Amino acid sequence: MTDIGTILTTRFPGTVITVQETKDEFQTLWINADHIVNILRFLKMALELPFKMLYDLTAIDEQARIHREGQPDSRFTIVYMLLSFERNAFLRLKVPLTAANPTISSITGLWPAANWYEREVFDLFGVTFLDHPHLKRILMPETWVGHPLQKCHPARATEMTPYRLPENKQEIEQDSMQFKPEDWGLDKMTGDDELLFLNLGPQHPGTHGILRLVVQLDGEDIVNVVPDIGFHHRGAEKMGERQSWHSYIPYTDRVEYLGGVMNNLPYLMAVEKLADIEVPDRAKVIRIMLSELFRISSHLVWYGTFAQDLGMMTPVFLTFNDREKVLDIVAAICGARMHPNWFRIGGVAQDLPIGWEDGIRAFIGYFPKRLKEYDNLVMKNSIFKARTIGIGIYSTEEAIEWGITGPGLRATGLEWDFRKKQPYSGYEQFDFDVPTGQNGDCYDRAKVRVEEMRQSLHIIDQCLHHMPAGAYKSDNPLTTPPVKARTLEDIETLIHHFLTVSWGPVIPPGEAFCGVEATKGNNGYYLISDGNTVSYRTRIRTPSFPHIQFVPAISIGYTIPDLMAILGSTDYVLSDVDR
Amino acid sequence: MKWWTSKVNDPTGSIAGNSSFEETFQKSIILTNMESMVAWGRKNSIWPFNFGLSCCYVEMATSITSKYDSARFGAEVIRGSPREADMMIIAGTVFIKMAPVIKRLYEQMMAPRWVISMGSCANSGGMYDIYSVVQGVDKFMPVDVYVPGCPPRPDAFLEGILLLREQVGKEKRPLNWVIGPQGIIKPQGPSMKETKRSERMKMTEISEPDRV
Repeated sequence: MTDIGTILTTRFPGTVITVQETKDEFQTLWINADHIVNILRFLKMALELPFKMLYDLTAIDEQARIHREGQPDSRFTIVYMLLSFERNAFLRLKVPLTAANPTISSITGLWPAANWYEREVFDLFGVTFLDHPHLKRILMPETWVGHPLQKCHPARATEMTPYRLPENKQEIEQDSMQFKPEDWGLDKMTGDDELLFLNLGPQHPGTHGILRLVVQLDGEDIVNVVPDIGFHHRGAEKMGERQSWHSYIPYTDRVEYLGGVMNNLPYLMAVEKLADIEVPDRAKVIRIMLSELFRISSHLVWYGTFAQDLGMMTPVFLTFNDREKVLDIVAAICGARMHPNWFRIGGVAQDLPIGWEDGIRAFIGYFPKRLKEYDNLVMKNSIFKARTIGIGIYSTEEAIEWGITGPGLRATGLEWDFRKKQPYSGYEQFDFDVPTGQNGDCYDRAKVRVEEMRQSLHIIDQCLHHMPAGAYKSDNPLTTPPVKARTLEDIETLIHHFLTVSWGPVIPPGEAFCGVEATKGNNGYYLISDGNTVSYRTRIRTPSFPHIQFVPAISIGYTIPDLMAILGSTDYVLSDVDR
Repeated sequence: MKWWTSKVNDPTGSIAGNSSFEETFQKSIILTNMESMVAWGRKNSIWPFNFGLSCCYVEMATSITSKYDSARFGAEVIRGSPREADMMIIAGTVFIKMAPVIKRLYEQMMAPRWVISMGSCANSGGMYDIYSVVQGVDKFMPVDVYVPGCPPRPDAFLEGILLLREQVGKEKRPLNWVIGPQGIIKPQGPSMKETKRSERMKMTEISEPDRV
């Protein structure tokens, strides 16, 4: 297969500025800003084995960066990450922008999914995208001043004026949130009939968190949906620029708060790539086992709440009880329930406790029967079927176009699981199936998740029976401080111990991305180290962000109750959307 | 007051006790004032508002399910509208974009209304000292009970409800014009850190982490 860099230089001479070496296995090309749209169009449309998915679009503020050897001059760098299913490969394109108030052409005409990503870059970095249909803030309030991810913007709330909410400010904020259909180019009338705009959220039991949807209705039929996000923006990316490499781990737990330690995994694997840290086999298997336990726990929350969205009261009580059983195992091993913060750079926090097998063995014996019971209760229920079959249908092509990954993609019939296609942390050693659907409707998405719980249980069973012996963390000096007892013998060890526990490790300069098949889809961390104790840029690519962006496209023509089914079957978490 | 319980099939009237005049009197008559009785009613049926912000909301929802069962404390009637609820639980991070909405929802609740701040974020911003997060919900609205934790376990949240119940029961909320200062007199909330200190100091043997 010819290398993409070579293809582009022969096809578009003078557009590829340079090729950058990164610590991950993806090719990184610097492209001239004037040609980026043409090159992306070529890669998507004309290339043999094309890059069909816009996997991520983000930016880097380069103004404070020291280690940029071999990279072209840039003030803001726009990063496009593409995924080719045919090639099973990622491609990263970088565009340097040198102006202080930079502009670049929008690619929304090429990928509709670019819409929100470009708005995010505009909001957080202040880069203007020309010809973008609605270049408005997306995560921060309309009234916000400044662009938070610029290096000159303060990170801490305590560095800024203390927050107050007097009467007049309350009025101004409420007014700025008022939905104006004209701003979105939405008609208030269709023929002689007046259209209704229904505001759903940010406080609504059906939205599973603080998501706001403005629904344009013609009678009962949905004409359009405009999501408003950012109510849950916790600044997780900026946080990475001030927490040490180790002390950022608890923040990853809270990015997709139902996934628990599974969120640690992509972050840590990216750090390990940057620093060339080898993880011992036992640690890898422990990581897989806990990640799969959290997949079950997350899917159980989804199962119960999805059934409840469709009017069933009982399942949520049953599935939450089973979730308790999973969390009891997690708490016995990690010491906490939802956010154990238990993985570490190069391994896990401590070895498995004595007697860890008992809880897991009991659960493996208990859970399949319950799943069967839920099949009878939910999946075979005629009302449930009537509410989900044929609702919210999309094809594999549409899913790829909009950046959909995870169960939502597999429900369309494409067997694509990163655990199989690009195995990480030793998943290639495990035997499991990748469940798929055929129709890409709400019912198939549910079916895929239910089957995934069985497969996760099968993986946990293999972990239980084949847990390797050995170390639970790497002995790389970047991961573990020297043994305390030895620090009292010579000054060198004492200094190293002190620095490792106080400042934390210094990760060598470089860039790396790592993604995992998380509960909701593909979750990835793109880390840039500038040779410091903190990351220079932490980009979190979460699955829920493109998934929510896709909701309007699959809801048009349905009714409000169908919208609830579509939202439920999308399975998102607001912290995963807004980070 | 003394209480007995009877079995399902017991004939009516056959109950334990000595059937004295005094006892019968005690069982059928309650002497109280109207204000205390209303407070007793309020504390035993607090209706929470179905409102959640982030991670803590999942643990709050868990406290309603059967293992924890908040119905035991009369707080299971979850209302989707603030106008029907008495108690708002700030379960999660208070975001700057969300703060005006939270305040509007609080204002929509009818008095008497109470607020539980659940989790470190709502208490003080917690680990999110970041540009988009308000450092504690008490920066712009009153709070009755603070529950620590990140997130608090459902049991910890239930303890918060119990503490609030106690507060509600002791609250002086005149039903009519009274002599002296008007308005609501809320009892001073106890510091659980102080209350539990001596008990915690007794804990000297802590189970090892390398054993389940």
